[in-house]
Amino acid sequence: MLEVSREMLAKGTRAGLKTTWELAKVVVPTAMLVAVFKASGLLGSITDFFAPYMGLFGLSGEAAVVLFSGYLVNLYAAAGSIMALSLAPKEIAILAVMLTFAHSLLVELPISRKAGSPLGYVLIVRMGCSLGAGLLLGVILS
Amino acid sequence: MTVLWEGFLQGLQGVWTVARVVIPLMIILEIAQGNGLLQKLNRLLARPFRAIGLGEEGAFPVVVAMVFGLTFGSGVILNHVREGKVSPEETKVIGTFMALAHALIEDTIIFMSLGAPLLLLILPRVMVAYLMAYLVNRRNQHLSLPEGHHIQGIN
Repeated sequence: MLEVSREMLAKGTRAGLKTTWELAKVVVPTAMLVAVFKASGLLGSITDFFAPYMGLFGLSGEAAVVLFSGYLVNLYAAAGSIMALSLAPKEIAILAVMLTFAHSLLVELPISRKAGSPLGYVLIVRMGCSLGAGLLLGVILS
Repeated sequence: MTVLWEGFLQGLQGVWTVARVVIPLMIILEIAQGNGLLQKLNRLLARPFRAIGLGEEGAFPVVVAMVFGLTFGSGVILNHVREGKVSPEETKVIGTFMALAHALIEDTIIFMSLGAPLLLLILPRVMVAYLMAYLVNRRNQHLSLPEGHHIQGIN
């Protein structure tokens, strides 16, 4: 019933490879950056600073790095940070849900605006849902 | 230097983790699109979308955004607005839904490959997007009601 042509396979493979390349361009530098952060002790400072707030979401202080890279850059950067840190599975799940609601904001907010939604509105809705989900999961999963 | 190398290897490992899922997925997506499954999905979702004030034309950008991503959904909606296929009220509902739930397949796979549970990645997102869109639609109707009275009054 499903028609599968050689052209579809070629096009799909090309799209997959392109995504992989886009992914590599972000994930590899992010992982390297986080590794440097870690070795230089900067990660320790960031962690200490954010630890009290991250606790609200059931996360350790380090997780702040994942949230920032996801909110500001994109999910691949967040994935790169997750790889470079050692987080509990529970923390990865919480971060994942929070970041599905709000991510790549620097790129996606202007896109939303172009499609007719005011920037501030989309920012508030997305961040509100993200932080709300984090608070909820922090309570449920702890 | 060893630190950078270590980070580099970790990054490559991450790329591999995601790539081995993304490439087959893109092929499946291409086959689905080539067979018109997107239109079928749209028809399947017609009823729940009508409950949030979206007709078939209005639901299409949302379906495109959910499957392919925000940029594609926005492209469709820009086109629809230009051709007058969606109302300004619908645009608000679509924008809200799309901003919260888009690229469901790609985003979900990124985190699934890192070990996050599938249902936790999809369900809350779609449910919250639907709820927010529902609220926007209700507010739309609420706002347009007095206006309608006003017009009737003039007539």
